Amino acid sequence: MSNDPDKVWPTGLTLREAEEVHSYLIDGTRVFGAIALLAHILVAVTTPWLG
Amino acid sequence: MDVSTMFDYKRFALGRLAAIAPQYLPFADAASDEVPLSRLLRLSLFQITVGMALVLMVGTLNRVMIVELQVPATLVALMLALPLVFAPFRALIGFKSDTFRSALGLRRLPWIFKGTMYQFGGFAIMPFALLVLSGYGEAVDAPRWIGLTAAALSFLLVGAGMHIVQTVGLALATDLVPPEDQPKVVGLMYVMLLVGMILSALIYGALLSTYTPGRLIQVIQGTAVVTIFLNGLAMWKQEARNRSRALAPRSEIAFSTALRRLSARPGMLRLLAVIALGTAGFGMADVLLEPFGGQVLQMTVAQTTRLTVVLACGSLVGFALASRWLGRDGLQPMTVATLGAFVGVPAFLMVMASAVLLTVPLLIAATLIAGFGAGLFGHGTLTATMRAAPRDQIGLALGAWGAVQTTAAGAAIALGGVIRDVMLLAPDGAQGAAPYLPVFGLEVGLLLLALILALPLRRQDIDTGLRTTTSLPTGSPAGPDGLADTRP
Repeated sequence: MSNDPDKVWPTGLTLREAEEVHSYLIDGTRVFGAIALLAHILVAVTTPWLG
Repeated sequence: MDVSTMFDYKRFALGRLAAIAPQYLPFADAASDEVPLSRLLRLSLFQITVGMALVLMVGTLNRVMIVELQVPATLVALMLALPLVFAPFRALIGFKSDTFRSALGLRRLPWIFKGTMYQFGGFAIMPFALLVLSGYGEAVDAPRWIGLTAAALSFLLVGAGMHIVQTVGLALATDLVPPEDQPKVVGLMYVMLLVGMILSALIYGALLSTYTPGRLIQVIQGTAVVTIFLNGLAMWKQEARNRSRALAPRSEIAFSTALRRLSARPGMLRLLAVIALGTAGFGMADVLLEPFGGQVLQMTVAQTTRLTVVLACGSLVGFALASRWLGRDGLQPMTVATLGAFVGVPAFLMVMASAVLLTVPLLIAATLIAGFGAGLFGHGTLTATMRAAPRDQIGLALGAWGAVQTTAAGAAIALGGVIRDVMLLAPDGAQGAAPYLPVFGLEVGLLLLALILALPLRRQDIDTGLRTTTSLPTGSPAGPDGLADTRP
């Protein structure tokens, strides 16, 4: 709808803005994933399951 | 346990809090038309999560690790000092967020988001790390390094997150209001920090009054969830997107240049030295007060956690009086700070006396007075720092203040723990209060040293020359050195 060729449908963000928002999402997923993995390993050390 | 003292304690703390609340309404004038008080209060929620993290680590976990989990005190003190490894980077964080490049034109929010993530992550793994460290359950057979590295990592994550959130959050709050109101806003933020500390200390004390490993996990992970919720609420829609900032050319000031410019201000380095000494003097007993109460005066977990509450209440009183003296009565910040250090000396002498006389009320009174002195000292030195900073470097100045303050506190905490443990190992120093007394004595010495350094500062009046800086017309597009104003 916009006349600005940089703007991406449907958010109205420019490509660089959209990529920045996406980078925060990716960062968050990586950090939370690593934390969850580590927490599971530590729980398995104290109270092992499946074994 | 002595129920009557406990009850008096809580009532005293709450009564004090209620009496002080109206005192802080003058901070309301920090809210300009664009930023109402409600929004500033919502933003200040991040300080509550920082307070929660501080109380949990320095107060509650410190005691739980030493007494319930039987981890050596040196190890505990070193673990608790780990977050302070990041403290010197606070100045860098403040500077980085000042000059952050973002396509969205954001400067502060991305940093607060990252900081919150680290804080949450640290709390999420911390209880299991502590259980592995103490050899709970099957972890007895696990290699020692797993518990050590995991616990260290969790404390590092929480500490890094805390420093980032606090530094950048304070900078964001400073951005949101006009320059002449910035010191008041920072005052509001520190009061919220103390409120967070008092509330969370009361809540942790109640939740952990009967300690079980399961309860420890619930409390710490509950803290993680509350942290991410409150920080999310605090930062929601606070910082406006700014297209012109996103498109503006990158400013090319190096960090070292900015830092050199700040430290070249007259009296700045001396002020930072006073802050370091005074903070170390007040902070050294922080991790030892609770085990001291538990081991020497036989207080319970709930009671020793309330010691931290009393300390925070004292600081709150100090803050209230300091802001009245600085605002209405026009006292110099360094005068207030000197008075704070002056009050601290007899307080720690009283702590030493309580160890000899074995009286809990004396320890409580001494803790209250020490907190009061710390409040006066903290407010005075922070205000002095802010007044001494050029307007375009307030973020960096805040970072430098925080860096010096937290580094000194961390070094003092580690040193206090090491001194206590060394004394415990000594052949005849093992019983009673003997391991703690040298630490409290050292605190008195540090405070006296800070007093000596601060007195000439008071005469020299570092802030009069700088008041011209703060009273520049607010609409001025350029700072005193011709640099463009960084405010939006």
